[in-house]
Amino acid sequence: MMDHNKFSAFVVRYAWVFIVLFVAVTVFFSLQIKNIELDNDMKNQLPEDLPTRLNLSKIEELFGGTDMVMIVVSTDDILEPNTLKRVEKMSNEMAEVANVDRVVSIFTAKNIVADIEGMTVEKAIGAIPEDRKSRDELAAHLEKNELVYGNLLSKDFKHTGIIGFLNTEAKDEAVIDALDRIVADNPGSGETFVGGMPIVRVSLNKDMKRDVRKFLPVGLVLMVIFLFVCFRQARGVLLPFLMTVMAIVFVVGLIPLLGWKFYTVTVILPVILLAVGNNYGIHLMARYQEDNVPGGNASAREIAENGIVHLTNPVLATGVTTMAGLLCLLTHIIIPAKQMGILAASGVAFAMVGSLVFIPAILSRLPKAKPVLRAREEVKESKALLDRILYGIANLIGQRPKTVIVAFFLVALTAGLGSFFIVVDTNPLSFYTQEQPIWKSTHVLNNNLGGWASVAVVAEGDIKSPEVMKQIDALEKHLQKHPKVGNTTSIAKVVRKMNEIMQGDKKFDVIPDTKELIAQYFLLYSMSADPEDFNKIVDFDYKHAQVMAQIKDSSSQAAQEVVAYTQAYIEKQKGGPFKRVGGLVDVLANMVDYVVKGQVYSLFLSVVICCILVAILMRSVVAGIISMMPLSIAIALLFGIMGFLGIELNLITAMLSSIMVGVGIDYTIHFLWRYRFEYQKVNDPIEAVKTTLTTTGRGIVFNALSVVIGFVVLMISAFSPVRFFGLLVVVSITACMVCALVLLPAVVAVFKPRFLEAKQE
Amino acid sequence: MKQNKATQNGLMAVPVFLGFLIALPSVSVAGEDPGKILEKATTARELDVSFSKMSLTIDNGKGQKRNRKIEVRTKMFAEGGKTVEKKLYIFTDPPDVKGTGVLAFDYADKEDDMWVYLPALRKTRRIVSSSKSKAFMGSEFSYADMSSPKIGDYNLKITKSEKIDGDDCWVIEATPKSKKIGDEEGYSKKVIWISKKSYMIRKSVFYDVKGDLLKELTTKGVVLVDKKNKRFRLKEMVMENKQNGRKSSFNLTAPVSMEAKDVNDSHFTTSYLEKQ
Repeated sequence: MMDHNKFSAFVVRYAWVFIVLFVAVTVFFSLQIKNIELDNDMKNQLPEDLPTRLNLSKIEELFGGTDMVMIVVSTDDILEPNTLKRVEKMSNEMAEVANVDRVVSIFTAKNIVADIEGMTVEKAIGAIPEDRKSRDELAAHLEKNELVYGNLLSKDFKHTGIIGFLNTEAKDEAVIDALDRIVADNPGSGETFVGGMPIVRVSLNKDMKRDVRKFLPVGLVLMVIFLFVCFRQARGVLLPFLMTVMAIVFVVGLIPLLGWKFYTVTVILPVILLAVGNNYGIHLMARYQEDNVPGGNASAREIAENGIVHLTNPVLATGVTTMAGLLCLLTHIIIPAKQMGILAASGVAFAMVGSLVFIPAILSRLPKAKPVLRAREEVKESKALLDRILYGIANLIGQRPKTVIVAFFLVALTAGLGSFFIVVDTNPLSFYTQEQPIWKSTHVLNNNLGGWASVAVVAEGDIKSPEVMKQIDALEKHLQKHPKVGNTTSIAKVVRKMNEIMQGDKKFDVIPDTKELIAQYFLLYSMSADPEDFNKIVDFDYKHAQVMAQIKDSSSQAAQEVVAYTQAYIEKQKGGPFKRVGGLVDVLANMVDYVVKGQVYSLFLSVVICCILVAILMRSVVAGIISMMPLSIAIALLFGIMGFLGIELNLITAMLSSIMVGVGIDYTIHFLWRYRFEYQKVNDPIEAVKTTLTTTGRGIVFNALSVVIGFVVLMISAFSPVRFFGLLVVVSITACMVCALVLLPAVVAVFKPRFLEAKQE
Repeated sequence: MKQNKATQNGLMAVPVFLGFLIALPSVSVAGEDPGKILEKATTARELDVSFSKMSLTIDNGKGQKRNRKIEVRTKMFAEGGKTVEKKLYIFTDPPDVKGTGVLAFDYADKEDDMWVYLPALRKTRRIVSSSKSKAFMGSEFSYADMSSPKIGDYNLKITKSEKIDGDDCWVIEATPKSKKIGDEEGYSKKVIWISKKSYMIRKSVFYDVKGDLLKELTTKGVVLVDKKNKRFRLKEMVMENKQNGRKSSFNLTAPVSMEAKDVNDSHFTTSYLEKQ
């Protein structure tokens, strides 16, 4: 370690240089903030070279954009003339919107029907019925049209969807503005709402910006109040506050500088710093006030230097473990999580160095403050309460330490069971609760119309050959069997339908046996219909075909189940025509894997790294192992609560554990450090525990409190996962604290590990 | 569902289109009345008999092409004092659709009759379609493109004269008189170049309902087919979609025949279709 005396003298001598340097760096980074770009496209959160993303681009290349927007109309009777006219108008208007590639609605759909002597390809809705009789005729007609019934039109005729496929150049905002205008221009009975991923993205963008604007002021105010309660002095409030703000400015400015973007999950970045970044400054100020005794004759510079000398080690120890925990987010393959690890760790490093350099530099140049009596007589009541609790804990440990340990492990075990019920959710829609308006179109799609999104399978080969066509047909029928699959679409279905009609017999609802007949059906179809009718299911050369299965459940579980079900089937058809599975649903399902993997790896790694750091710090492997205990119990509790309360593991909550480990380990370090010191003095574990708890114990409580207060602002977020994240941080940090204050003393009292006896250097 | 005369199958487009390939004898000058000029182009459809071989190439603008070869026969019949134009199309290539035939009777006063013979099915089926077909065989040519505009539906004006491949043309601008007419065809404006010599359409440009350039038709090779009656044909017609890059072309692959051995009454029966 560096000589702290030299270092502190250096800092104080060149105080102005350091002050100017830190201010300059902050100003520089603040100028970068305006360049930040928001990005909420879920697929961009995965690296471009992942198989699922490659599959998606390949599919988009063959069959056009997969992104969809929709207008859903829900009313008593869609077939009522005014409603139909409105739907037709909106369908036509949507087709006119720039970058809307193709519109699918009851007015663009076709119907292949048997005619007396042959086949008719007609519009699903030829004319708008003006009276009851023709309305019922149309209804009877539509019921037989499987391209429409239960798909674009609900079976009770109460809901219909107008779907627009976007090309890859489409800009979300422009498309949604156009859709909103279409809906506003066409008022009518019932409800009309817009939906689709672009809407979710725009909505996330707006709410995210609003969230950040809300968090920061509220968080900062809470922090000021907390700092004032702690220090009751202007500089005690201002300096840690300034340090935190500077750290936030630094990391937010770092985002565009590194060429990164602000993702949905990045909203919690400033909050992490708000909660964690002031810890080091608080220690510095506390020490300053401790040393600045009434009547003392130390100069401002001496007090500042003293602070650096005494706090460099603990601040570095806790700062480095926190950074290590955060950097473990790098094990995530999900881009925003990785970046969050680096950004948050950089912010912590900035705050940590700033607290050891910038704050003492300022303190050394400020006139000496009026001494504040550290013993908070004013808050005697609460002090007494806290002390009584801490004292009670110490007594309990003295009497039945083993019971305490057993109790903790039982609680952890019970809670841990909950982790089996953890649900993973990667659907960006779940940032909103299911009751929010943004979910409405999805509910209607799932309950009444085919399903909200689809799994796509691409077949490669001579699509017109009966062998390939029969395999496509078999796949589609297999997919149809899955309970979560709603509507399915493929070229095979069309071929079967044409065969049945042209052969004039129901038993010919099968794929024909010759390539010629299939080719001739296609030719026949092209004589009477739109060449683009098949764009989404077969390519121009008849070399690729797409089978789509819509799912009726927007959970990531459903996505995973259907993707796994599909892949298992394709696996069995080795050598068959099916080359890739893809689509939005596939990306969602894939993300679940990565969230879980990232979670497990980062958690494991952060625990191991933090424990190694503790082992190095205490020069004992046993110390490392002991420090794992509070973390393990907090983790078990965290996942248990998530499982039992049904809080989903998602992109946001997946980051929780690394943050918890990085921050939570601090309390263990503080406890062990002080306990060793006390134990060596009195050589009695119970006495040492008592002293430690009533001195450092208090510090640990305040430290945890400041973190909790920082994260509490997340509870006002517009997004439920962020609110849950706030709740879980509070729970898990409290768990870490309780473990450090209750379990750890019991463990050292029972096992009397040798590293605590070694003579301190 | 009821269909009407205006919403016929895309196949109907071919004879109309063929009409364009045949020039009227340029005997008298129709003056500078754009309506008259278009009428002249319309009457060019009335050809007694014809047999032609052509290829249809559809290029999707992404380097992929579809080629088809078709033999087309047409003949005018008088049935019950009314004129019926009968047409027979036989696909000769690619092999998987070889022998597919379409027989269509185009009545002046009632719905068309149409039969399709699919050799792989070995059955003739009557087909109907109520969709106002936008495209012919998935090509860029549409029914509306290939019929000359109903003169009464449009405001017409001759904007200028211009030479196409050395052929002096009237440039006629046609705008629909109502939005409904425009929406049906999908155009807000068409500009047509008609040869002053042969009355052949040498070029057309089409604007979509938003007023943006949609498609451009270019023609090449005016060929004198029938010396006696001074009838012409175009060797090539190319329709390019300016918005999506797709391109379709019709090419004559052999001289047009009007001989009885190539076209006679027996060709226009379903039993002939099934013999293919």
